[in-house]
Order: sequence, then C-alpha cells, then structure tokens
Amino acid sequence: MWKSFKNYIGLLIAYTQINLNSQLEYRGAFISEAIGMLINDCFWVGFWLIFFRRFPVLQGWNAKDIVTLWAISAAGFGVAYAVMGNSWYLPGLIVNGQLDLWMLQPRAVLPHLLVGRTLVTAWGDAVFGYLVYLGFVRPDLHHAALFVLLSLSVAMAFVGLGVLTASLTFYLGNGTLLAEQWRFAAITFSTYPESLFTGAVKLLLFTAIPAGFISYIPVRALRNLSLMDAGLAAMGSIGIMAAGAAAFYLGLRRYESGNLISMNG
Amino acid sequence: MNANPITKYTWIGYTAARSNLAYVGEVISRAAFMAVILYIFMRLWTVVYAEAGASRLGGFTIQQMIWYLVLTESIMLSSPRVSMEIDEDVRTGRLSVQLLRPLSYALTRLAQTLGERIVRFAVNLFAGTAVVLILVGPIRPSLSGLIMFTFLLPVAFVVDFLGYFAIGLCAFWLESTAGLMIIYSRFTMLAGGMLMPLEVFPPRLQSIARRLPFSSMVYGPARLFVAGGTDVFRQTLIMQIAGLFLFGGIVLGLQRLAFKRIQNHGG
Repeated sequence: MWKSFKNYIGLLIAYTQINLNSQLEYRGAFISEAIGMLINDCFWVGFWLIFFRRFPVLQGWNAKDIVTLWAISAAGFGVAYAVMGNSWYLPGLIVNGQLDLWMLQPRAVLPHLLVGRTLVTAWGDAVFGYLVYLGFVRPDLHHAALFVLLSLSVAMAFVGLGVLTASLTFYLGNGTLLAEQWRFAAITFSTYPESLFTGAVKLLLFTAIPAGFISYIPVRALRNLSLMDAGLAAMGSIGIMAAGAAAFYLGLRRYESGNLISMNG
Repeated sequence: MNANPITKYTWIGYTAARSNLAYVGEVISRAAFMAVILYIFMRLWTVVYAEAGASRLGGFTIQQMIWYLVLTESIMLSSPRVSMEIDEDVRTGRLSVQLLRPLSYALTRLAQTLGERIVRFAVNLFAGTAVVLILVGPIRPSLSGLIMFTFLLPVAFVVDFLGYFAIGLCAFWLESTAGLMIIYSRFTMLAGGMLMPLEVFPPRLQSIARRLPFSSMVYGPARLFVAGGTDVFRQTLIMQIAGLFLFGGIVLGLQRLAFKRIQNHGG
C-alpha cells in the first residue's frame, strides 16, 4: 500500500511538472492569468482591510483573522486546482463523455484523471495564499507549519467537493450549472467570517456546503494553534473526499462514452 | 432591404436579449447566486449595524444598505464577457470576417452587449428583489431618484462596455487578456462601491473613488435608486461623461492601431 501511495505521489509530481511546462509554453498568458488572480485576491483582502478600518471588530473577528481566512482558502483552492485541475473541469468531461482516455489506462481512474490538467488561475491563488499569510500575519514556525498542513487539508476538501458535485452529472444528466453553483456557494461562504452565520445555515455550512472545513475550522486551528481543530478539519476533508470518490465510482457505472478521439497533452 | 442604422443595431440588441432569455438554466443559476450573496450581505450588515448600535451608517438605514447592495450586485453580475468575446474574435480571425459586414464592429458589439446586459440586469434585479423583500422588507425610493437612476444606468452600461472593449482589443498585443479583465472588474468592484457605499469608505479613499469613473458605473446609479439626491446625480453624470471620453478615446486609439495589424490571406 505504501509503495502504491509513493507511486501515485510520483505520478502527481510528474503530471504537475508536465502541466506547468505545457502552460509555460504560453508564458505571457500564464503569467497574465495567474497574476490577474493574485491581484483579484489582493482586491478582496483590500476590501476587508478597508472594512475593518471602519469597523475594527466584527463579532470577535479582526483584520488578521479575515486575512488568515482568505489566505487559507486561497492556498487550499490554489493547491487543489493547480495540481488536480481536472476536478474543476470534471462536470464538462462527464457530460461530453470524455472519460474514455482515463478509463483505458492502467491506473485508478479518479486520481489519474484529476491530475491530468491544471487550472492556470489557481497558481495565482496558491501564491497569494502563502505570501499573504507570511507577509501579513507574520507567523512563527509552528503556525507556518500548521498553515502548510491545513492548506493541504483544505485542498483535499476542494477536490472532494469538486468530484462530489461533478458526479451529480452521472445521475442528473447535465448537472454542470448545479455543480458550478454548489462550488461557488462553498467558495463564497468560506470567505466570510463564521460568526455571521447561525442556526440551520451554520449546520448547512458544515454539511452540504462544507465551508466549515474549508476555512472556519482551519482558521480556528490557526488562531489557537489547536491540533484538535486541525485534526477535525482533516477528518472533514477526508469525509468530503470519500463521499466524492464514492459518488464518482458509483456514477461511473452509468457513464456513456462520447466516442470522441482525444489527445492528452 | 435597406434598414436604417438605428433599426439594424436595435435588432442586433433585441436578438441578443432574446437569445439570453432562452437559457433558462443559466438565468436560474444566476438568481441562485444572487440569493446566496444577498443572504451573506444581509447577515454581514445586520451584525455591523447591531455592533455599531446605529440606525444609520453613511446615511443609509439597514434596509437602504441591503437594497443598495441588490442594485450594485445586479449591475455587476449582469456584466457580459464582452472582452473575452473580442479576444476570441481576434485570436480566431473571426474579426476580419466581421469587418466585411456593412456594420460597425464596435456598435454591433455595443448593441449585443446592451441587449444581453439589460436582460441579465432585469433578471438579477427581479431575483434580488424577491430575496430582499423576504430578508429586510421594502423601501420607498423617491420618484425623482428612480427617474435619475433610469437615465444614468444605460450610460453606466455604455461606459463599462467601452472599458471591456478596450481590454478585448489588447488581444492584438497580449497572449491573454484574462488578467487585465480581472483587474478591471475588481477596480469596478472595489472603487465602484459594489461592496459598500462610498459614504462608508475612509475619507481619503472616498475622495479618490469619487474621482474615478468606476463609481459612476455602480455606486451612482445604485445610490440614486435607494436615496435619490441631485448632487449625486450631477457628480455621477460628470464622471460618466469623463468615463465616456476617457474609455472612448482609449478604444478609438487602440482600434486604429489594432485594425492596421489585420492581415487577410484569402482562403
């Protein structure tokens, strides 16, 4: 099992290099899109800094907390879709019957498929997340290490959510818009302070729209340097990933090929 | 048949509007997104008003604030991806075919964009109104405010179109205009007052934002809708005229340079 795991990590690294190199063939476009996204994130943090200058505390949250929230969400999102970019494009691949390529190869379909492409803007998100945490929050070594680990947990939550929502397409026909809205809802909720939400909505944010595992619990873990909360965030991400994988493999039985001839590269 | 130019472009806009309405799934999807955003904003500002212990912030009651955000979100989320389409036209060479037609490329794109945007804006406003009526109830906009809003909103759409059109034309020189588009839209979002009215900005930022055309595309029309005010109308109109000249001048200059670079090889 360990050997197989190592083998897949090797595959992941190899694909990431290939994907990055293929994007760098269009260097100008790559830099423009990645930096565009980085600047986009800076604008959002800029808005929150202006907001907190006017209203310094929001139910116990301050500017540093909101920057941490944005940093962890962006880093997690960036790592997820820079390395496993096909989880972003998966609804379209299923609708168009384009999974054949991945099903014919001697690898488990889902992990192989996920690493097959990168989302260019995600590189900007990843760079933003780590830079803004280091530059603005100025963490000590323990916080920095926990941030890196949590960003991987958040990345897993994003990939799991991407796979879960995309897999709806197997059952509903064209579920592309629903998948997109579900993901956007999770991203949107995860970039606002947890303390704004109560009751049934809060329950929703720890279940169907798992913003809780994407940002709320990770921020709590970083605030209090709590391994308990970090473990909870990781457990939540594993749960989302497991649900996504189960939905995908069950749905794959219903898959119909588009009989397309496609090249991967 | 020789249609006059106004009829031609009106038909192009009308066709774009109708084709936009045909995608019911997309319409519902946008409405759902509006609902999520408005719910979050309602929670955010309810908490802010409660913690500040104030009935008004920047002159806005909580109801006016949420209605202001309905307007700004409706304006921003109705923005069509015109720069991406122009980028695509340039890269695929479709632009040279468009130029053969007895139509101005810029005016055709403007008519299409306005047709699409009016439909999108109306759908967003409808969805936002439904949500916000449940969340905070109605407000009473003044008749003069509504008239000023109705007058300025189309101009705001035209200024915004010119901004995106200029970005699309940059495809003649850049490998991708996506980055520029993101930066422009974020300027519109932040300096335009999409997330909060300029009155709530810190004073120095407020005075900078008021001197930029972005505020006349988002803040001005939304502010007039919820609270009216002839001063805001005058200021918005001045900034819109400045925006028309600024972005219009950039578009003319870029178009002149860009169209010189087009080469046709037949086929």
